[in-house]
Amino acid sequence: MPGIGIPSLASSLPPIVKRNYGRWISHEHPRPGVIKHDSESGEACFTVRAAMPPNARVSTSTMRMLCGLADEFAEGFFRVTQRNSIEFIGVPEGRIEELIARLAKQNFPVGGTNRSLHNTTCCTGYMHCHLAATDPAAIMKAISEMLHKEYTTDCLPAKLKISGSGCINNCGEGSCADIGIVGIHRDLPPVNAEKLKGCELPLVISVCPVGAIKPKGPGMVEIDPKKCIHCPACSVACAAFAPIGSPDGDGVAIVVGGKAANTGDGPAIAKMVIPYLPNNPPYFPEITQAVRNIVDVWVANAQPDERIGEWINRIGWEKFFQKAKLPMSFRLVDGYDARSLEYAKANVRFRW
Amino acid sequence: MEKIKLCCAKCGFTIEEYTAEELATVPRKEKRYKYLKAKSSICPSCLASGRLAETRVTVDAATGPAPKAAPASSVAAPIAHEVHAEGDTPMMDAMSTGHFPSHAVELKKTRYPAQMYEQALQQRRTQWGYGGYVSLPGVASGVLVRASARPEITKGSNFVRIMDPCGNFFSTKSMYALCDIADKYAYGLLHLLSTGGDLELLGIPTENLKPAVEEITAIGFDIGSTGDDYRTSEECIGPAKCDLTLYDTLGLREAWYKRFLDDVQYPRFPHKIKCKFSGCPNDCVRGCQKADFFLCGVYRDAPKINQEKVSKWVKDGGDIATVCSRCPGKCLTWKNGDGLKVDNDSCLHCMYCSNKVPGVRPGDDRGVAIMVGGKLRGKFGPMLSKVLVPFMKAEPPDYKEVFDALERFTEVYDANARKKERVGDFILRIGIDEFYRLCGVEPVPQMLAQPRTNFFTHWEPEEVKDERRL
Repeated sequence: MPGIGIPSLASSLPPIVKRNYGRWISHEHPRPGVIKHDSESGEACFTVRAAMPPNARVSTSTMRMLCGLADEFAEGFFRVTQRNSIEFIGVPEGRIEELIARLAKQNFPVGGTNRSLHNTTCCTGYMHCHLAATDPAAIMKAISEMLHKEYTTDCLPAKLKISGSGCINNCGEGSCADIGIVGIHRDLPPVNAEKLKGCELPLVISVCPVGAIKPKGPGMVEIDPKKCIHCPACSVACAAFAPIGSPDGDGVAIVVGGKAANTGDGPAIAKMVIPYLPNNPPYFPEITQAVRNIVDVWVANAQPDERIGEWINRIGWEKFFQKAKLPMSFRLVDGYDARSLEYAKANVRFRW
Repeated sequence: MEKIKLCCAKCGFTIEEYTAEELATVPRKEKRYKYLKAKSSICPSCLASGRLAETRVTVDAATGPAPKAAPASSVAAPIAHEVHAEGDTPMMDAMSTGHFPSHAVELKKTRYPAQMYEQALQQRRTQWGYGGYVSLPGVASGVLVRASARPEITKGSNFVRIMDPCGNFFSTKSMYALCDIADKYAYGLLHLLSTGGDLELLGIPTENLKPAVEEITAIGFDIGSTGDDYRTSEECIGPAKCDLTLYDTLGLREAWYKRFLDDVQYPRFPHKIKCKFSGCPNDCVRGCQKADFFLCGVYRDAPKINQEKVSKWVKDGGDIATVCSRCPGKCLTWKNGDGLKVDNDSCLHCMYCSNKVPGVRPGDDRGVAIMVGGKLRGKFGPMLSKVLVPFMKAEPPDYKEVFDALERFTEVYDANARKKERVGDFILRIGIDEFYRLCGVEPVPQMLAQPRTNFFTHWEPEEVKDERRL
């Protein structure tokens, strides 16, 4: 029964890592998808990184195949990275090409290191979630296919991370990435009187960030349609406000410039540049084109080591909207709380 | 001996069972009991949601506890998997080709009800219904119920959340065992890494949840991290395979689980709390954006430069001019012959030079910074985390100083926040200065982006010594 804790560190580390734990001194990128780490013991460790399916959904048969490769090439260990790639660690230098060919045969492309598109991440979406306004897994599959060359070659100014979230709960980390795709609802949530009986009314009312949920008679609430900002806070807190969304009401917003590292201009949350695009499965052409456009403008204009957010900081938002040919709208202007006033320009240092 | 049972008010299914003695002596059980009593739960048996009913039974102590039933997993009865409606899948087929592996192909290799996904894509709307956390007897967190909005395709799909090993390293031996469990009890589909850092097994029939959990723990994995508790902590790869890490993230995470396992498995906080550990300011786990409590490796002295290595790198075509010009502190200068010089007064210790130039390594005065309040939604939207402690030594093996601080800050949040209020929202409501005071941290310049611009600050009468008034 639960209470045993996570597996011990000693049991889950590969032998080459155990031998050189904490003794690495430098790293380099011999080719896209392969990282070489040098240890102070003189040992070199080659890591081969391959993309996994969106949302890291892997069937047991595929997993067994990957485990077989790990047994054959990497001493029976593998690792899952933060960006849903699989890493084979300690592959002998002479067998790297063989492993890459074997992975390619199974449709697992090797890449996503250094100045390339790092593997996409996304949340569950339509696969297993009741709040999803879009299916980020399908969008990420389409975007990955479109940016296949960028994934397998070091052809970008800096690393590029693209993430997708199915709703603004942001489990898929859309707001963390250089380009984020975040599902949005535009419909009012329903109020199911029967299910509302199982919820705490004070919590339901207080959970709404804009106070749009008000009591309406005993045991019932109503939603002010003028106030609702379509965050699914109420739907998360209580089953009475689900299901939300409709085929034409749901869609995605596109945000750019998120970054966690303290290099360059430091950490930043991504900012919205397109307030709404419709869902059109299976290939989502509007969304993939918008992403292609932003990537192309960035590649054409950025300096080396400049990620999208830093490039925009240098050229300014006015130049970004001009170069990317994106329309400005009121929906991109934040007026949510007192902090939002800081986002308005307080000087006349314009770029025309 | 008195036994206290918390049962579903509708069908009487026992959600959790305690003895009166346990409640009095084991603090985590008592916290858990109070928590369960106060909230509405979803019954894993009849899926009704609502407050739990409490029943107290006096068991004759002489007869002792009832003999434990054999674990269901040892019963040879085959697992009855639900048969799902089938049909054509044109949408899923359309995304099954290409250079990248496809989730649609993976889904179709398993027992996952493909029509749920296919119909969602066709109708452009999710087909799943409301879900929730569920408690099994003895399993306080880690199991989730997902209802279906299309009962004719599938009735629903429960899943368990398994806490990842350190560094997300898996031995194939343990992964084969997990695959066997996934095949036996679940859809045969692994969600290898959720963005919170757990491994999830989907599609476990309600009656098999308990045996599935028993088998998972039998092969050495533990479950947890649902509800208002510490969620699974994430860490970067750290010393296992990185030359830049400033503390042992994997060791710290292992120690964190040893110390805080109860709080991971027994929900009791106002809202979820995410802890993430990054080895250096590159922040590979995105802790500054996602984590309520974020431990980031930092160093204070100047970067160490191996001039020989740097010169060799420049000679081989390394672009030192770009590195010097893009250094955020503008503190690097390169002269042929002189080598690379760094001005520590303006160095931001951001790791940029160490990332790019072999031979530049972080200094030796290393520790962790504790940052609080990062989140991606909450009430006030995405927020970056803020510095609470700029520097603290991280001392293995038990990291007592760091964890004591973490526990103290968590208690401040637990005692003062409103229900369903993330740490970031809580700080925004009470003010960061008040939060510093509650946490007992002294302000230092490293904590501030800038000092205040307004004058609206409170002085206590004792602080004002006006001699004329005396």
